[in-house]
Amino acid sequence: MVELLQEPILIHKRKKKIDIAIEQSWSKIAPFWPLKNLIAVNPLAGFEDLPFEEALTKGKAYFQEADLPLPMQSVNRETIKWLQAFFDEGQAVIGMPMRQNGLFQAVRHLLPYDNRLWPKDNKILTWLNHLPEDPLEVIPDCLNFLEITGEQQEKFLSLLLTTLPGWAAHIQYRTSWASGADLKHNYPVQKADYLALRLLLTCLLWPSAKELLGWHEQALKKAGTKSLVSNMHKAERLYRQSLLQKLTTQSLQQSEEPDAQLVFCIDVRSEPFRRAIEAQGRYETFGFAGFFGVPVSIENDITGESHSSCPVLLQPAHHVTEYPLCNRDSLKKEHRKWQSFQKLYQSLKYNFTTPFALAEALGLASGLSMLKRSLWPGKRLSVPHSHDWKPNLDSISYEQQCNYAVNALRMMGLTSHFAPLVVLCGHGSQTQNNAYATALDCGACGGRHGAPNARILAAILNNVAVRLHLKQQGIHIPTLTHFIAAEHNTTTDEVALYTAEVPGEVMPYIEALTTDLQKARLQNSQWRSAELGLELDEQKAKKHTATRARDWAQVRPEWGLARNACFIVGPRTLTKQINLGGRSFLHSYDWKQDNDGSSLTSILTAPMVVAQWINSQYLFSTLDNTAFGSGSKITKNITGKIGIMQGNASDLMHGLPLQSVYMNDREPYHEALRLLTVVYAPLKRIDAIISAQNILQKLFGNGWVTLACIDPETHEPYILQRDLQWFKA
Amino acid sequence: MVQLLNNIQLYFHVDALAFVMLLLVGIVGLSLMAFSSRYLKGDSRYRKFFLTLTALIASVFIMVTADHIVLFLVAWGCSDLLLARLMVHKPNWRAARASGWLAVKNFAVGWVLIGAALGLLYFQTNETSIQQLIHATYDPTILTIALGLLFAGAMTQSGLWPFHRWLISSLNSPTPVSAIMHAGLVNGGGFLLARFAPLYLETPKLLTIVFAFGLVSAFLGTFWKLMQNDIKRMLACSTMGQMGFMIMQCGLGLFPAAIAHLCWHGLFKAYLFQASGSAAQEKRLDLGYPPTLSDFAVALLCGFAGAYAFAVSSHKSIFVADTNFFLVAIACVASTQFALSILQPLTWKRITIAFFSTTLVGTLYGLSVFCIEVLVKPLNIMQAQELNSIHFIGLGVLVFCWMAVLFRRHGAQPAQQSDLESWTYVRMLNASQPHEKTITTHRNHYQN
Repeated sequence: MVELLQEPILIHKRKKKIDIAIEQSWSKIAPFWPLKNLIAVNPLAGFEDLPFEEALTKGKAYFQEADLPLPMQSVNRETIKWLQAFFDEGQAVIGMPMRQNGLFQAVRHLLPYDNRLWPKDNKILTWLNHLPEDPLEVIPDCLNFLEITGEQQEKFLSLLLTTLPGWAAHIQYRTSWASGADLKHNYPVQKADYLALRLLLTCLLWPSAKELLGWHEQALKKAGTKSLVSNMHKAERLYRQSLLQKLTTQSLQQSEEPDAQLVFCIDVRSEPFRRAIEAQGRYETFGFAGFFGVPVSIENDITGESHSSCPVLLQPAHHVTEYPLCNRDSLKKEHRKWQSFQKLYQSLKYNFTTPFALAEALGLASGLSMLKRSLWPGKRLSVPHSHDWKPNLDSISYEQQCNYAVNALRMMGLTSHFAPLVVLCGHGSQTQNNAYATALDCGACGGRHGAPNARILAAILNNVAVRLHLKQQGIHIPTLTHFIAAEHNTTTDEVALYTAEVPGEVMPYIEALTTDLQKARLQNSQWRSAELGLELDEQKAKKHTATRARDWAQVRPEWGLARNACFIVGPRTLTKQINLGGRSFLHSYDWKQDNDGSSLTSILTAPMVVAQWINSQYLFSTLDNTAFGSGSKITKNITGKIGIMQGNASDLMHGLPLQSVYMNDREPYHEALRLLTVVYAPLKRIDAIISAQNILQKLFGNGWVTLACIDPETHEPYILQRDLQWFKA
Repeated sequence: MVQLLNNIQLYFHVDALAFVMLLLVGIVGLSLMAFSSRYLKGDSRYRKFFLTLTALIASVFIMVTADHIVLFLVAWGCSDLLLARLMVHKPNWRAARASGWLAVKNFAVGWVLIGAALGLLYFQTNETSIQQLIHATYDPTILTIALGLLFAGAMTQSGLWPFHRWLISSLNSPTPVSAIMHAGLVNGGGFLLARFAPLYLETPKLLTIVFAFGLVSAFLGTFWKLMQNDIKRMLACSTMGQMGFMIMQCGLGLFPAAIAHLCWHGLFKAYLFQASGSAAQEKRLDLGYPPTLSDFAVALLCGFAGAYAFAVSSHKSIFVADTNFFLVAIACVASTQFALSILQPLTWKRITIAFFSTTLVGTLYGLSVFCIEVLVKPLNIMQAQELNSIHFIGLGVLVFCWMAVLFRRHGAQPAQQSDLESWTYVRMLNASQPHEKTITTHRNHYQN
């Protein structure tokens, strides 16, 4: 009787312990977003609780080991095979059976048929045929079989994840970060599913896998990162000293009344372009997170497709549909036509027998098209016409609209002195045949183009009722002032202005701005061409960047956010006279308008954290492009439409490709520096914020980000030490 | 030396077949040179890559024009070695080395087989000129053995089952190398058969065997292609299937059709490899399977029209029961499929559109095949064979598989799958995996 009672309790206890071990093992894995919206992440995000140096050492032992025990490689090979099949989002026509029941159920059903795993052993086959349905039961069973007990369990589970880090990272994304439509997936996966699969394969292929623990101990012992860190320290100090010296010598003079104000994303690529447009006339520019403070998902009325368009730290709060402003019907018809054409092609390509005829019928056309795209990449056969869109704001209530308006204007410090024209400028890239295309788009918009969000905020701020509310809040927008949306093409430096519903009296400003944007484009294209290693005159540079955007063979269409190094929070006047070399995230901030520090809190806990993710992604992809980056583009292979493998099959290569951070195979273009945040605000206010925010204590205290402050009173620079004490720089 | 130079034209023979191959390799080579000049920017082996690629193209030029068997064999071997050299672009990456090594072993087997075949023919005739060899008379047994060896060599080159492993394990190569491999070098098998076509046409029984082997690869390659989860292996398996079809065309005695297929597929596949970076952006659309029977019936009628148009424009008679019928039947399947995606949902307007566009496309398709056939007409290697039961089985397999994809269960899969389906899936998945040494089983084994 007593025994009977005790048993369930024991099982219960064991289960709980295993739950904790599972959770702990997954905490080491950073997420990896799929290709359709590549979000920069810190590949060592699982070790951010540790001081930077210690995290580097751990990272080295877990992810950078040159070799792996041979039987574990077999386990990896079989894991990759099943994961490729399971996580396929539309490559294969004949898909993995039973996928809709989830990863573990599908594999549990299929493993007994896999003769590569159990050559001529009926005992194993019987075991496979009678596996428990619950992965949480399989995990302890397998651990027992492998004789891994107690404390070792968590470590062993971690190693199962870190020895195939890219795939684990994708599953981390699917199970912890996927949002919106991606959350309700047709093919569900749980964290325990994957560990159960790994353990099953390990039991089958490497019964003495306990040795992996010893292998890892060895790796930990020899992992040293001292010289790397000291070199990095030196470079960081140099950069910091020179930047702070420049910043503290600026006189913060307000310039004359501007003709137009332009708000750009904090993205480092905005900085050189802002400099270029400011040079053309009386323009004032601001930096603000590119989703313009509106957490939305966007639906395209023509295609019916929708996506989240806000930082991944937020969940979209509204679903906004965008309608084309003209010929909706003809656009829909065009879209349907294009779809039928694609259907025609796909129906012939993805079947038996018909591809033989398809290849013969399309051979000539493909040959001609291939020659054109390879020999004359810049030539465009048809000019794509862009049209203006109008968001339907019904899903955002009046109160919420007012809220978004007030918060956005306050946070960027634009509450008075409005110019007649205010441009909210999102950004996006334009590349061809580029698997990593979305890594060049707006991170604040969840790896998408930023124009829809700009259109939403512009529509809100043009709303008379909202302006009335703003007036009550002390923000007086003149009637003459008009907000328009725009999008900066970061590959060509073209700026598209969305001006369909602009009142006539603003038109002259827009015309002048259009001309000046053209000039700014020339100037910035020239500078960017030089960064790409080509000294060209302005016109040639313009042509060159446009060609890069259209070239299907181009592996470096633009440098993206490479060389990013600092995040500056303060008014533009602080940086306006300095050439920051496209290395700075610039967030506008006026400490005088933020008495309670709430704006600064938001800036440091949201945009700065995103900047740190981006910075870490570039940093680690540069330090070790194989372990943390995705290797060269020239041998890449896209699997399941979700990610990159190298060659025939490999780990899912998360991180940036070699070509995004290296000039060539040997010389990095990106400089591996940790993020330096500079805030132009009183020390005391910053201190108060840090002591209230755990994430900031973690990032600054563990040395992931260096914080510097320029005190507005004294104009003296201070630097926050690891013990969170300030010292004068 | 002077004499050698004087006689140099004796070692070469440029006929229509060589001309077509020169054109194909020239166009693909030119395009890939331009592509790679930007795609490989910054690569530490940039110069070496271009030198090797140039040498490869030159070597293929010599191979397709060579008339002396020794020159031919040397050029064939050189081309393959240069290709393997290009495949191992990253020599520190062990998986890439394994891919190259696997290819070299396969090519070596092929080279020995072809060498043996040419040796046999040489000892029978004492001729070293291929042109002389293909018009000589032989002892039938010896001829069959020689042509069998030659065919086996062709199979190694074209990645046909059972010599397919190297091809589907070859994707550790840079993208442009895959492109030239799939557009150029794997076609070597088809070229070889076409070159010796006059002899093959004398051995109809062997042609049927050729057809049967082609069918196996066409089936397996397409099946595997449909179940691959990554873009490049999908393309590789697809090539295997396409090569199978090309060999089937050879087996039907329709060598010019095989050459047409080789050219058009080469360009098509080269394009797809270069464009493989866009795979994630391609969204699969719901194709409305399974079609209703009335849709299918109307589509079939349009398909007949398309097939008829194909037959007329490619100058094939559909009223004679020879192997040309086979190609017309394939055109009929493709036309039906084409019409089907226009026909849903069924309206009179759509029926009209489907009918006319299918006829038009059938005509264009026929013309594209016909223009290559005209080019190689002087070789007189278009000799349709009598239809036999193997041909009908082959046609049956191809039509059945096509219909099976159309009409199989779609949409929400059942919670339980039949054992046979699961068994087939797992076995086929395993069979289509690359050689294990060519998989990067530990991330840090990848070496740039």
